[in-house]
Amino acid sequence: MEVLEEREEEEHEEEQEEEEQKDKELKPLEISDKPEDLKTKESVERVCVPSDVPDFDWSSIDTSQLPSSYKTNSPSEEKLLHVAAHFLQQYTHKFVSTTVRPTLLPYTELYHWDGCASFVSDYLIMEPLKSPITPPSSLYSPTTILKYQRGNCFDFSVLLCSMLIGAGYDAYCVHGYATREICTLDETLEVCPLLRKTQEVPKEEIKKSNKYRIKSPPDLQSKFELQQKAKKAKKAETEAAQKDKERGEEMKVEKPKGDPLHGLRVHAWVLVLSGKREVPETFFINPFTGNSHSTTDEQFLGIESIWNHRNYWVNMQDCWNGCKDLVFDLSDNIRWEVMLSGSDKPHQLLPDAEEKNELPDNDMDDVPEPEDENRNLDMPPSWVDPIQISPREFETRCCQGTKVTLYKKAKLEKWAPYLNANGLVKRLTVYADAECSEVVEVKEWFTNREDMLDLREVNKRTQLTTDYFSPGHRFHLKAHTYVWLEPETENTMEFYNEARVDGLQKRVQSAMEMTEYFVGRDDFLHVRYTEFGKRGKKVHLAGMRADANARPIVQIKECFHRNPEKPADEDVAERIFLITEEMIHLTYHLKDNYLTASQKDFFKIPEGEIRGREDVMTPDMCITYQAGFSKEEKLVHLYKMLQELIEVEKQLKEQVRRSEAEVLNILKTRENEENSVKLLVSIYDTERNEKRRQEYEAMKKSREDDLLGQEGQDLDYLAPFLLQTGNTEKITKAQALRLRNDCLADLKRRLVNKANIIQARFDKAVEELQKKDEWFQENQDKLSEEEEEEFLARYSETTFLIHILSLRLRREKETAPQKYLALEEKLRKDPRFAEHLGHA
Amino acid sequence: MSQSHNSVEPNVIDDEMIQKAIEEQYPEDIGQLAKKEGTDFKDVTELQLSFRNILQIDNLWQFENLTKLQLDNNIIEKIEALECLVHLVWLDLSFNNIEVIEGLDTLVKLQDLSLYNNRISKIEHMDTLQELQIFSIGKNNLTTLEDVIYLRRFKNLRTLNLTGNPLCDDERYMLFVVAYLPNLMYLDFKLVSDSTREAAVLEYQDRTDLLEGEEAQVLAELEEKQAKQQELEYHKTAFVEYLNGSFLFDNMYEDDTEAAKLASLPGVSDLLQKYREEFVSVCENLFNFGLKEYEKREAEVSEFCECRNEALTANQQESRKLILDFENRNKMTLDEIHNAGSSDIAESKRAEYKADIHQLSEALMTLEILIADQMEELANDFKGNMAVVASTFIENIKGIMNQCRDLENRHHEKLLEICITTLEKSVKNELEEDLPDEVRMLLVDKNTIVNAANVSHGVRLRKIDMRESDIFTNTYRWQASVTEKAFQNEVDRNREHVKEILQYIDSLQEELHNMETLEPME
Repeated sequence: MEVLEEREEEEHEEEQEEEEQKDKELKPLEISDKPEDLKTKESVERVCVPSDVPDFDWSSIDTSQLPSSYKTNSPSEEKLLHVAAHFLQQYTHKFVSTTVRPTLLPYTELYHWDGCASFVSDYLIMEPLKSPITPPSSLYSPTTILKYQRGNCFDFSVLLCSMLIGAGYDAYCVHGYATREICTLDETLEVCPLLRKTQEVPKEEIKKSNKYRIKSPPDLQSKFELQQKAKKAKKAETEAAQKDKERGEEMKVEKPKGDPLHGLRVHAWVLVLSGKREVPETFFINPFTGNSHSTTDEQFLGIESIWNHRNYWVNMQDCWNGCKDLVFDLSDNIRWEVMLSGSDKPHQLLPDAEEKNELPDNDMDDVPEPEDENRNLDMPPSWVDPIQISPREFETRCCQGTKVTLYKKAKLEKWAPYLNANGLVKRLTVYADAECSEVVEVKEWFTNREDMLDLREVNKRTQLTTDYFSPGHRFHLKAHTYVWLEPETENTMEFYNEARVDGLQKRVQSAMEMTEYFVGRDDFLHVRYTEFGKRGKKVHLAGMRADANARPIVQIKECFHRNPEKPADEDVAERIFLITEEMIHLTYHLKDNYLTASQKDFFKIPEGEIRGREDVMTPDMCITYQAGFSKEEKLVHLYKMLQELIEVEKQLKEQVRRSEAEVLNILKTRENEENSVKLLVSIYDTERNEKRRQEYEAMKKSREDDLLGQEGQDLDYLAPFLLQTGNTEKITKAQALRLRNDCLADLKRRLVNKANIIQARFDKAVEELQKKDEWFQENQDKLSEEEEEEFLARYSETTFLIHILSLRLRREKETAPQKYLALEEKLRKDPRFAEHLGHA
Repeated sequence: MSQSHNSVEPNVIDDEMIQKAIEEQYPEDIGQLAKKEGTDFKDVTELQLSFRNILQIDNLWQFENLTKLQLDNNIIEKIEALECLVHLVWLDLSFNNIEVIEGLDTLVKLQDLSLYNNRISKIEHMDTLQELQIFSIGKNNLTTLEDVIYLRRFKNLRTLNLTGNPLCDDERYMLFVVAYLPNLMYLDFKLVSDSTREAAVLEYQDRTDLLEGEEAQVLAELEEKQAKQQELEYHKTAFVEYLNGSFLFDNMYEDDTEAAKLASLPGVSDLLQKYREEFVSVCENLFNFGLKEYEKREAEVSEFCECRNEALTANQQESRKLILDFENRNKMTLDEIHNAGSSDIAESKRAEYKADIHQLSEALMTLEILIADQMEELANDFKGNMAVVASTFIENIKGIMNQCRDLENRHHEKLLEICITTLEKSVKNELEEDLPDEVRMLLVDKNTIVNAANVSHGVRLRKIDMRESDIFTNTYRWQASVTEKAFQNEVDRNREHVKEILQYIDSLQEELHNMETLEPME
């Protein structure tokens, strides 16, 4: 039974305080009643800290910035410590529960436990415990942990627990024992979660038992032969099983080696109890990985104690069988020894009061409990400041924005968005062997790419690259599989067919073939297959088009779905244009219950012969097989059909050329995009969107300029006078003087006018007031209460008006001379008068 | 118009004219071909007979698949002989001398009808042309604006031409037409503008609203009627029509004067009331039972069909696989035979191919025989089951009908009792009520009144028997037809399949044979 001791970030002060603390600070860590402890003591030394974890100097933490609550205890905290001392003579100067600071952070992802867990596991760098079998002597506050982004399992757990409780989960920090893999964040034996295959549950079709059943044909097979066969199969099976077994033994080698400290390794994790936030089942979260585990997981070997921000429970159950048999009913006093029974009691007795109890009543901490301290003491609120994570930090996630995790035969690297110039955020490398020497496959995830590239898979064995795109690519690409980005090599392009007019869903190409798959077309076309021939030696004919060098088309095949509006034997299922053979082959859809489809073969007359012939159509130009009854078809009809098909063929050829051109275009575009990757930045992201910010600032500035300009741009006070003189080009001195005088006189007149108007209004208001006053004096007795009120309201209104007017008048009197002088000054400086008045 | 035709003899459409018209329609290259081969009138979809001075339409009945017919610029006086052209979509009868719209009832697919420049004075006889989209009846003799309301029944009518009719002179013309035909897009070659529409609505809204209300009511009534009819059909297929209610009971008392007389005896009306209630409830039971049984029968039939289809599909796939395998195997064979270096090789390959064809034929036939056997067995099972279903149904119906009879008997006994007591009272002159004379006539002696009751009882029993036997006949008929159909289907299918297989094999052999005959030539 250890108590976790909060020593806080007081390393600096420690030296001075050590003297006084010594008597106070029991080291309960050594008082362990675990019998195994003794016999494994010597092995402690052997366990070495993994060297790849960079050392962090905890003494570098600056404590001077920390709030005072970090360093001192409030009275209630003191009291609590006092109680804690009574509880198991385990006291500290900070109690573990108070390090938990429930906080809900303003990020939607952090509203769910998996988001919180993965954030914590990504954000912090794991440090092993100093001694793997003893809990740390001190706990750091979540804020400090966040600041330095590193911590041990206890730090991880406290932070995660704070976030989960803040998000409304019934979460607890757990102090217990776990396997080495868990404690040291060794995931090399686990399959990467990204590689785990989701098992598809085969849908069981509920076969209705039909009372009609056809009798199966008589079984004419020899029973003896069947028996022999079965025997053989059985033999092969046992052999295979044998082999499997052998292989299984081989596999076992991969199992973890025995751990001398098994069962002693201290670990801290988070327990989430069912009930709140619709959690259906109690589960553990390993804060290092962010993964959830069932409470029966064999990797968790035992629980010492659990705590949250309100209380502390000690496990009284036997953990000989790991955590499998533990019952997580915290109100059970026999199984869970509670520390602050007072605060827990309402929890058991009055489930209704639970809500109230949960409220973090910060104000309560100074109110001393008058009653029996032991029973009614509440856990004081956390001394830790609220956890804060800036959006930038949240986005960056891992320390320096990168994180590498090793899994079984796989390596996972993560980067913060925008850290890599090509938008790479995640890379998973899959190896063939456990030593990670032979790469099988590399998967790379991208974000914010302008070309919408989302994921790239490179199969190192086949050299096949597959790019997956989010919707929105210029060509509506969905996926692109290729070896090289070269035309006429093997590649497959998938498209978002909903976005394309032609409904193209996939195009598979190789040097000699091109197959296009369509979805949802009105003409029911679903496959178009083109076979190309070898390029013949070019015979350059004059006037041939640029695409003369294109691959010759050998045949085009089109497949159609059934068009329900047509009868089956008029609805073409497949048409093949054998271009080199001058032949067109049609196959129709099957009629119901028919075995053979109608077919038609047309033989075209080569261009050269057509003129010499008398008949445009002869019966031997079309061979028909009509399923079912055959009816003689008119040549006219066939001829029309042939004409149509020839037209279609012409269009198809063009279509194929267009497709080829599109492929070329896409490949070229892809290459360009790949060569100069551009990242998209949200227009709301002012930090990154440099251009946008500049624009915004420019806009803001221009707007400000506008405003200033409006102010600065004075009206041309001379304009009316200049107009009077007529010629504005040149002003003589006499004119200038006159203008100036006119201008000044005008201003003077206006100022006087203004003052007069104000004065007049003022006089009028005063007069009115006097009248009213008189009237009131006369009629005061006759007035009803309401009338009186009304009069008073109006009276005060008038006095207010008078007051304002007098103020204005005074101001006017004060400013008028100034205005006059200002104008005079301005006029002197006016460029138009410069030569005449400037030096006057 | 008539002047230009005066010089020419009026014509009646005859074969010669049609032939000529068809030939003229073809482009040059096909024309020759068609001439050589002759044209089947059934294949013609469009026909133009304009400017031929036709007086009378005739001889068009062969053009079953005609979709477009132009008879404009003739001197036709009567629309006739177009009944067979049911696929007609476009009919042009403009510039003729037609006076009455008629003879178009069968042309239900008609979308575009032009009667421009005729002598029509009333829009009528077009109720069946529900597909009509374009209607041109300009330059006619239409006088009453209210005639336009007739066109409201064409829900798809978008384009209308009325120019040159006397009714256009009415100042209300434009707004009236637009108001009463709100779906119209084009009127007299012009787009109906929104402003016109608004003005029309403003002007005539109250009147059109009224009309719409009436139309909606008529439509609702029609729908209700149809729904009722449908329900009755459903009941009829379940053989229990008119059993959900007092229909049978009322039927029993229909035309029964004796019963009516007896009903006025004291206490009989109460008795009747009670009897009626009980009887109706039994009928109700019968009805519900019938519906339930109907569902069961349907399920049985569909189960059979399902099984049959499954087996057929499986068989079809198997055969199909055989054929596809064969075709893939022999894709190149003909070419190879054709291009074989020596005749020996060609000969051996041909023999091989022949053998392969034969083998395929055998395999297909074996499969067909197998499935035919299976099908027959299945049909026999079905027949047996159907018989059981029908007989259990009839047994149950009998049971329920016996309940009806029991009710009737009991009622009869009670009625007799009342009769006798009333008679006794009457004899003793203790009757309190005043009875009609007719009834008093019955109360003469015991025989008379008992006879009257018995007669009426007999009538009612007979009605019940009749209803029962109706159900029985219908059931047996249904059973027979369903079973018969199952067997007939199978026979048809088998024949068709065998025919198909033979035909396919024939075509393969023919292909090979053609090759052989070609060979020596090269």
